Amino acid sequence: MIEFFAEMDIIYKIGLAVAFIAIIVAFSAIVRQKDEIHLLIIIDLIEITGLVVIALLATDLAEALILPGLVVGVAEIMAVSELWLVKEGLQNVRPVRRLDIEVLHTAPPIIGALLTAYGIFLTGFTGGLIAGLGLALFFLGKATTENFLSSETASGYAWVLWVLAFLIFIFFPSQWFLALMAAAVGIMIKVMAKIALVGTMRGDGS
Amino acid sequence: MMESILVTIPFGDMIHYLSGYTGVLFGFAAVFVLLAVISLPEKPVEIVFGTDGYSLKETPVDLAKFQRFMAIACGIATIGAIVTGDIFNFTLFAAFIGVLNIGIVAAVKNKHVLSAAFSYGLVVMMGTVPLFAGAAIIAATTGTLSIWELAAAGGVPVIAKLLLLIGVLGEGMAPFYIGKAEITRASGAPYILMIHVSSLLLFLRVVEILLTV
Repeated sequence: MIEFFAEMDIIYKIGLAVAFIAIIVAFSAIVRQKDEIHLLIIIDLIEITGLVVIALLATDLAEALILPGLVVGVAEIMAVSELWLVKEGLQNVRPVRRLDIEVLHTAPPIIGALLTAYGIFLTGFTGGLIAGLGLALFFLGKATTENFLSSETASGYAWVLWVLAFLIFIFFPSQWFLALMAAAVGIMIKVMAKIALVGTMRGDGS
Repeated sequence: MMESILVTIPFGDMIHYLSGYTGVLFGFAAVFVLLAVISLPEKPVEIVFGTDGYSLKETPVDLAKFQRFMAIACGIATIGAIVTGDIFNFTLFAAFIGVLNIGIVAAVKNKHVLSAAFSYGLVVMMGTVPLFAGAAIIAATTGTLSIWELAAAGGVPVIAKLLLLIGVLGEGMAPFYIGKAEITRASGAPYILMIHVSSLLLFLRVVEILLTV
């Protein structure tokens, strides 16, 4: 471990020093801070600086650990902040008015259908993006009382399809074409559902 | 140093295994997953203070369903952490268990439970950093994360082991958060148990890993 530090480039040492100072500052902020939402934000800051340390310490292989670190961090901050919203009773329950002009009644279904059809024809990540844009546009012209749960369910099954495709790749490599198509369709539906959720965001309506 | 291996499950270059020790842990986790699958939620009894009166609390069906899903997922993640032969997967499963433990109590609509779960969530968030840092340092110094190769070659720095242990302590903190005992008093008894089972087994497994590598 000592040699590992000794043969390190000077720039990494400086970076490590800065990152550790940032961590110390963040931890001292936690000690002072009592407000819960600020605690949450500061702890996210600690996570990010911790990932900076991993990035500076580790080799290329070990840097692969940054991505799961980030994903897990995002998942945790989403779960904990949702918990905080429930705890403080801040969940938005009021219905939101949409912009009521004629072009939003006629145009979104047509353009949305065209984009979605083209996206399904493309498949894969790009196709999911284009089809998702179509759906987002379609949802923009709709009231928010639609049942969006079904699109989240579809996203979940798409993810299962994607994982199954990977298992086919590993266990039955001769069936690679089937696996490729399954993965392409899975990722398309997954991306599509996520992008479509953007069309459902309306702010708090105030 | 690998003690008596009973089963190996090769999955590409990752070789999952069960020794006598982890086999027992696996059986324990499997029993509790089965319990979460088949059992109905409890009906907590609340004594009215100072009298003989008591009241039965019903757990709402949607809450019970959500808790059951989270408990089963947590049990499966625990089994994953037990059988895996790869430190990278182990850290991921440990982080997963942390998030699912929050999920098991998060649906309870009780301010005290939510407040305890929030504090626990903050600890879990802090725990992920040493967890992944430990794995990253192991990968950086030895060039592998496979427990098999680490057991044969050795050379894992003590600091990395320590960070891994601190990370697991953060993730499996829930039952030890007894100062905020509400987290374990949330309704839905068979599912809440999974919090204890998962963190106990996670600790036992990380001890085995740290002694092996």
